[in-house]
Amino acid sequence: MSTLDQKPARAEGRKDPWSQLLEKVGKNQDRQAYHALFEHFGPQIKYYAMANGMASHAEELVQEVFVSIWRRSCLYDWRKAAASTWIFTIARNQRIDMLRKMKRTSAEMPVETEDLWQIPGDNEDEPVTSLHRLMSERRVRESLSHLPEEQITVIAKVYMESKSHQMVADELNIPLGTVKSRVRLALNKLKVILQDQNV
Amino acid sequence: MTRHHPDTLTLMEFSAGNLSEPHALCIRLHLDQCPHCRSRVDTLDSLGAVMMESQPQVGVSSDMFDAILSRIDSEPDMTETYISTQAKRMSPLQKLLGDDLNALPWKRQLGDVSVLDISERFPGQNEQVVLQKLAAGGKAPAHTHRGSETTIVLQGAFSDQKGVFNQWDFVVLNQEDEHKPVAVGCEDCITLSVLSAPVKLTGTFTRLLNPFIR
Repeated sequence: MSTLDQKPARAEGRKDPWSQLLEKVGKNQDRQAYHALFEHFGPQIKYYAMANGMASHAEELVQEVFVSIWRRSCLYDWRKAAASTWIFTIARNQRIDMLRKMKRTSAEMPVETEDLWQIPGDNEDEPVTSLHRLMSERRVRESLSHLPEEQITVIAKVYMESKSHQMVADELNIPLGTVKSRVRLALNKLKVILQDQNV
Repeated sequence: MTRHHPDTLTLMEFSAGNLSEPHALCIRLHLDQCPHCRSRVDTLDSLGAVMMESQPQVGVSSDMFDAILSRIDSEPDMTETYISTQAKRMSPLQKLLGDDLNALPWKRQLGDVSVLDISERFPGQNEQVVLQKLAAGGKAPAHTHRGSETTIVLQGAFSDQKGVFNQWDFVVLNQEDEHKPVAVGCEDCITLSVLSAPVKLTGTFTRLLNPFIR
């Protein structure tokens, strides 16, 4: 997990380098910044595709994600999400969309991939929300490096291999309850669950 | 104001993109109205980003960036096109069901209960997707659930022994939950449910009827 510590840390209230680059793409169609993002995130997205069993479409997915990043970069606002989080959601949506097109169900269905998976609330300007969003990525990166390996393994399978909790249990040959409790322990540490108490 | 939220593990499956389309729709509709869960999903999306970053990375072909640039150059106005399609974006519910839920071709099942099966709007899915309408003040017969049933309230409100479920509330029922919903308030209560198995009636009814009772 040492790679986690080497990544640019977000200083309180300041943009991380990737968010600055993404902002330049959005504001000035800056191709040098776009290239730097490609160099950093391209290989990550390619691995994501391969981990998802899309090896023969991995480069196609990278391409779709980057075209999509260019297309919507003008809407990017660093106060609402870190670049890496924003790019992860695009990669996830493009993966879902690509699988859907392979199954050729998209033509028959009135609802598009983005209708289902794109998180609403792009117009949220409340300062509390913005601050929360800024903090969350930094906090997640810091907390994750302290999690036990068995919890990270489970989370990695859910996020990188798109496996349900049940599939993870089957694969690791452990009870479903164990998978769920590992996830819960991890999310607790990441303060996702703690927030439930504020409802 | 929503009171009943999806649990964090379900939100995680949403954030990871692992839910079926009907389930994702239920979550998405809830998120539309619930800043609290949106903020939880933001954190979970960050978790996804950090996971992606901490995995091994695989080199991409040397000519790929040029290919991307030439695609961008061949569609010079793609940014504007994207913004204008965003502006025209309707809510997923509107796209799926039109403007007036009450005007849908409801099938009356018994007394207070009407249903509409919309499973065919989700081709290639195994789950049954059903709209259910309980007339204002109406009661559905007591029933349990054989599999799990994920429900979101689209209009009005219903109550059972677990509490009152208002518009955009999210609830998952399973084998242990026997309930007898009543529509409260002055509007018909309309819900969207995703069912993994049929409901078992526990009262005097012997036929399978509908999702308040399926």
